[in-house]
Amino acid sequence: MAQAIEIHTALSLGQKLKHLNWGLVLLLMAVAGIGFSTLYSAGGGHIDPWASRQMLRFVVGVTCMIIVALVDIRWWLRLSYPCYIAGLLLLVAVQVMGHIGMGAQRWIDLGVIRLQPSELMKIAVIMALARYFHAAASEDIRRLSFLIFPVLLILLPVGLVMLQPDLGTSLMIVMAGIAVFFVAGAPLWLFGVGFAALAAIIPLAWMFMLHDYQKQRVLTFMNPESDPLGSGYHIMQSKIALGSGGIGGKGFLNGTQSHLNFLPEKQTDFIFTLWAEEWGLFGGLLLLALFGLLFVYAGWIAFKCRHAFGRLLAFGLMVNFSLYVFINVSMVMGLIPVVGAPLPLVSYGGTAMLAVLIGFGLIMSCSIHRDAKLPRM
Amino acid sequence: MSTHPFSRKAVKIKGSRRSALDLARGRLVLISAVFSLAYILIAARVVDLSLIQGELQHYAESEAVESDEETGAIVEEQVRRADILDRNGVLLATSLEMASLYADPVMVADPVAVAEGLVRVFPDMIYGDMLQKLQRKSRFVWLRRNITPQEQYGVLELGQPGLKFEKGQRRIYPQGMLAAHFIGYTNIDGKGLAGVERSFDSFLNEAAGPLALTLDIRLQYILSREIRTAFEKFSAQGAVGVVLDITNGEILAATSLPSFDPHDPGGADQKALFNRLTLGVYELGSPFKIFSTAALLETLDVPMGKTFDARKPLKHGRFHISDFHPEKRRLTVPEVFVYSSNIGAALMGEMVGTEALKDFYKDLGLFSSLSLEIGEIGHPILPETWRDINTLTASYGHGIAVSPLQMVVAASTIMGGGTLLQPTLILDKNKAEKPRENLDLRVVSPQTAHRLRQLMRLTVTNGTGAKADVPGYRVGGKTGTAEKPGPKGYDRKRLLSSFIGFFPMEAPRYAVFVMLDEPKGTKDSFNYATGGWVAAPAVGRIIASMGPLLGVRPLPDGTTDDLAVSLKHYLHKEEKKGKKSLASY
Repeated sequence: MAQAIEIHTALSLGQKLKHLNWGLVLLLMAVAGIGFSTLYSAGGGHIDPWASRQMLRFVVGVTCMIIVALVDIRWWLRLSYPCYIAGLLLLVAVQVMGHIGMGAQRWIDLGVIRLQPSELMKIAVIMALARYFHAAASEDIRRLSFLIFPVLLILLPVGLVMLQPDLGTSLMIVMAGIAVFFVAGAPLWLFGVGFAALAAIIPLAWMFMLHDYQKQRVLTFMNPESDPLGSGYHIMQSKIALGSGGIGGKGFLNGTQSHLNFLPEKQTDFIFTLWAEEWGLFGGLLLLALFGLLFVYAGWIAFKCRHAFGRLLAFGLMVNFSLYVFINVSMVMGLIPVVGAPLPLVSYGGTAMLAVLIGFGLIMSCSIHRDAKLPRM
Repeated sequence: MSTHPFSRKAVKIKGSRRSALDLARGRLVLISAVFSLAYILIAARVVDLSLIQGELQHYAESEAVESDEETGAIVEEQVRRADILDRNGVLLATSLEMASLYADPVMVADPVAVAEGLVRVFPDMIYGDMLQKLQRKSRFVWLRRNITPQEQYGVLELGQPGLKFEKGQRRIYPQGMLAAHFIGYTNIDGKGLAGVERSFDSFLNEAAGPLALTLDIRLQYILSREIRTAFEKFSAQGAVGVVLDITNGEILAATSLPSFDPHDPGGADQKALFNRLTLGVYELGSPFKIFSTAALLETLDVPMGKTFDARKPLKHGRFHISDFHPEKRRLTVPEVFVYSSNIGAALMGEMVGTEALKDFYKDLGLFSSLSLEIGEIGHPILPETWRDINTLTASYGHGIAVSPLQMVVAASTIMGGGTLLQPTLILDKNKAEKPRENLDLRVVSPQTAHRLRQLMRLTVTNGTGAKADVPGYRVGGKTGTAEKPGPKGYDRKRLLSSFIGFFPMEAPRYAVFVMLDEPKGTKDSFNYATGGWVAAPAVGRIIASMGPLLGVRPLPDGTTDDLAVSLKHYLHKEEKKGKKSLASY
């Protein structure tokens, strides 16, 4: 083990930089660039208040990402559980002293930035799961008792996030966790049972666990026209904006739905709408294609990774990232109920961008160190 | 557990680690495929929303725009529903574009706040009313029709997406009630429902320019003022008045009381909407002595000195014809006319003969509906079978009911020199729907016409119409005080009191007619409610006001009153009767 570590720390900084996935960095910059221009448009053709700060955050985020990418994967393996525990503590802290934002308690105000621990927790959960399954033998994974601990790893933060309450993030953690379970090799019947249990739980959850506003969102999703001014408003306006874009869009800075403030939260959750209204079908598909490339890239890294930790980590983060995209884009297009989920790299917001870039940093770290020999520990 | 799909491979490839890698990669590919599908689904949704639904939306939008343009065009036309002017270009009716406020209750998030805001903008709105309307389940509810721009601004200030406006036009009558029966009114959709608004409905909707009426709003004001004064003073049920230019038939002013606000015809009762001047038909009484006297002079060469026995009531079968203030002597033709003797008039009619009298009345247009450019025209009521008694009563204006305007036009025909007069309300004859028949039909000879002028002047100087005289003007005329038919025959208490006046008598130009329906005598009129007491003074005041306005020069003092003087010697009445004689029929 000591020998293995020595061999790979021998990889010089220059070599690491050479192995860094610059294509991935370029893709990320392209997506972020779309974000900047859209925020510029959302600001009414001004770099303030959104685009400028977003650029600053991106620079900070990309720096963090590269640092994360250059850190040896074995360090991340060792840091997995500490990160997870730190994340849990932050989640507890948010309950105790959190800043109330938009009716939900999600933020910790650090003075300089307001931190949303649940975003970081998504990464920490994936790291912890990857760490756990990395150490497992394939026979272990088929043992039910072996799976109890990772299930707890998921449910603990999910419970805390639900308390905030943040349904979207809870579901994302669960889904990313399930994906890691799946790729780790958990028996298939388990997923069948899991889905059956979920189907059974949904009515109960509806009755006892969901808040009124969450129920309202789901009901509105079923029929947004029932309440065009209330909870159906977002979705109707968003669909109108998307439809009004047509093929070529209305042109940069010319999105009427968005600029005339028909569309609320246009700079955060509904930024895809703003983009697609101004750039039309082509713009919308272009952005989706860029996201798709990122997804393929990350998937390829996971596929080529020789060690289970990297594979699971890269894959889990990829799933996490894709879920952001799916949930956000599906939401603004009325495919799923409105849940508060940003469009990664594009939506205005610090923590989400930081979390996504750190995630890609980890993915790149997996890529750089894909051939590293990792001990089972 | 051994049924795992990759377990067989695991046997072939050495090492569990290798098998785990394959398992992982297989599942990775599987789940990636699922995610790719999700991407494709989302991309498809983008296409769906921005293309297919977007197209539908564009279609709907362009439809909406088109229909807006359509209605816009209609509105444009309706907005240009032509103005109606008086003869001097004064605006009588115009259309203003106005917004109407309605609500889409589904789009009203907070009905309480919206209702409160509305009540602030419209202080006369009732809060509970509004709240109830805003809470309805429908998608459309009228809140207020035809609001002012200032009110619209106030509503916009509320910033409520559920409050919407529909542009429309509203017909505005700047002169209010003046001539309301003749100008008419429209419904809320701008369709003419009465008066010229109705009879020229399509014309007004299509016309490029305004429609000018013969009315002179200044005279209209004078007429309305005097009629209303008399109407109120004598507590009448109704009143009509008209000023007619007898040289060309143009109606310069016309009114009917009670009247109504043309902006809110729905708020008026049916009596107020009823046009008594043209649609109402009445047994008008003594003014018909103009016609019977003219018939006598026209058909028989009867000298003025010819006398008729008015010593006792006339009996004809079961009918009695009597005078209100019997002279109880034989009366000359001028006496019959000036003192308005029913017995005398009936004897004149008898002398003319039934057929001749009927032909004469018919020629004057008294047997058929008046031809005028509005729809509210009453048809005369005639005896079903004309017996001799009808000849007698028709001679003093009973047993035959015509509209007041019809009588005025017939009298004006005679006063104008004898050719049939065609009344009109439309100044520009090219715009009149019915081409005027200018037949120049002569009904009476100029000689007869001149005789009647003398008789009518004499009525004012020495007879029942004395109160219509105006210093400086030669006014002639005929009083009328008809008993209205009731369930038990004619009712002495319910009168139609009128005066038809003409001036200037030396060359008659204007007819001025006033009639009060069921006036009550006052102290000032010594409790008389006869035409001479209630209508003649009003005509006098109207003439006194309108004469100077129309540029009719007063005669210098001391000018000989040829018309009156020429027949005065036929009056054999002692002067002692004084004022009382003025009150006779």
